[in-house]
Amino acid sequence: MRKKGFNMDRASFFIITLPALLLYSFFYIYSVILGFYYSMTDWDGLARSFNFIGLDNFKKLLGNKAFFSSVTITFRYALLMVVFTIVLGVLLAVSLNSVKRFKTFFKSVFFFPAMISSVAIALIWDQVFIRALPALGNMFGVENIASPLGNKQTALYAVLFVNMWQSLAMPTVIFIAGLQSIPDELYESALIDGASMFDQFRFVTLPYLVPTITVNAILTLKSGITSFDYAKALTNGGPARSTMLVGIKIYIDAFGETPKFSIANAESVMLFVVIAVLSIVQISISSRSGVNNT
Amino acid sequence: MSASTNNLQAKSPVLHKRGETLIWHFLRNALLCIGIVLIVMPMWLVLINSFKTLEEASQSFFALPRSVNLDNVHELLNGQNYFHHVGNSLLVTVVSMTVVAIFIPMVSYAIARNMRRRYYKFLYTYIMLGLFIPSQIVLLPIVKQMASLNMMNIWGLILLYITFSLTRGVFLFVNYIRVLPIEIEEAAQIDGCTVVQTYFRIVIHLIKPMISTLVIMDALWFWNDFQLPLFLLNRSRDLWTLPLFQYNFKTEYSFDYPMAFTAYLISLLPMLVVYCFCQKYIISGLTAGAVKS
Repeated sequence: MRKKGFNMDRASFFIITLPALLLYSFFYIYSVILGFYYSMTDWDGLARSFNFIGLDNFKKLLGNKAFFSSVTITFRYALLMVVFTIVLGVLLAVSLNSVKRFKTFFKSVFFFPAMISSVAIALIWDQVFIRALPALGNMFGVENIASPLGNKQTALYAVLFVNMWQSLAMPTVIFIAGLQSIPDELYESALIDGASMFDQFRFVTLPYLVPTITVNAILTLKSGITSFDYAKALTNGGPARSTMLVGIKIYIDAFGETPKFSIANAESVMLFVVIAVLSIVQISISSRSGVNNT
Repeated sequence: MSASTNNLQAKSPVLHKRGETLIWHFLRNALLCIGIVLIVMPMWLVLINSFKTLEEASQSFFALPRSVNLDNVHELLNGQNYFHHVGNSLLVTVVSMTVVAIFIPMVSYAIARNMRRRYYKFLYTYIMLGLFIPSQIVLLPIVKQMASLNMMNIWGLILLYITFSLTRGVFLFVNYIRVLPIEIEEAAQIDGCTVVQTYFRIVIHLIKPMISTLVIMDALWFWNDFQLPLFLLNRSRDLWTLPLFQYNFKTEYSFDYPMAFTAYLISLLPMLVVYCFCQKYIISGLTAGAVKS
């Protein structure tokens, strides 16, 4: 009797996971495999037939300066985003968590950017950069302030700023949840041991936050490297290709005026290799420290 | 760190040095104020400029509007299929969200409590592969795949959202459930509960804070997502979700920016209304979770 009940449970567990397994296999893993396959063809995305050409697309890309510069830009963008997200996210979470008055108000305001679509945010900031900055400049007597999006030195940072403006809210919410899971007793004993506020942060808060930081870093890195919406709506890769993130380049190559679908797939395969390696490195680093490692 | 510190200060005689606290409060408040200005300022500019005519806005971008002029709103609501696009976004978000909120915690529970078995270990690793896979490599072939299945429509989009939300959802839930004490569930099972009963009577209450986090995160993603609808639905105007409507609005009204501001403002309104409810739900959910642990 007991044995039979045990099997029932095993069966229910299995049935629960089955739809996930099937959906994930067909609409995710199979697509990835297709992507790998397309990357080794000469398909433009429209023609009825195409040929298998092995690794030719990759050979072409490795010698391609435009692709290389795109990769560099993307890395700068994503790494800066991770650093800013972790530092500002933890600071903001600790701050919001310690506020006594107007706590709900502060939280509501800081979470607000996450409620809006990235397109709306990008287009609103575009207008603010174009209309408000020159007007602000005039007020302070500085002439000819142009939108940073029009300058190839600053455009990438302007896009990053707009991206951060929105994307900081989510990690902050996760950090706050992480902070609230830290037992009060730890702070109490740290305080009795004479720990300063910074010591408490360093030796109690931070170790407990390591798993949360890992989650946030992985999600941010991934979203930074694959970032698309903001640059698409703000600059579409320009000016002078200075914001040509890999995500934008892939889109333009795949569906642009002269489609090179297989090349775009080869680019995403290389993006995949980079992301995979980075994530493995990052996970192995983060799991070495922190209280929750098992 | 300091919510708990504040509690301490109320009940414990041991306090931080006064100077230390003052510096911390000063830095904290400065940070929060700068943040609030950065967040509120663009929204404020959108609000005031959406009531202006183009002429008035170009004369005085920062000034309050001379009158509450609703012409832009009228023109927008009459001329564009605004409500149709809201309907599309609503359908996508509600259906995907309901499925995800029921489905992911159960799958994660099954995985988290069977980690020693080969199949579940495999399934977890398999789903975690998504952490290493950039969206582009899926998006390009999926467009061709969906086209050949004749699913370049709202339902295709919903199916993809359910699938694509698995990796993040399972990652968060499995790690959350694994550290929950298993004793309560064992006790329930000794009392004769099946797995499904144990899940619905006990586990679901323990993971509520995480469910609310998942609902918020994914609902916002589905509602606001730009990339997937752009790849899948941009060709037919009828299928546009709200972000696609906004995006395409940019090209139509690139010079009449008060009109564009009105479009953004009106597109934000449904979210603003929902926001009040969500905010309460998040806070109460997270506090409940903290109290239980």
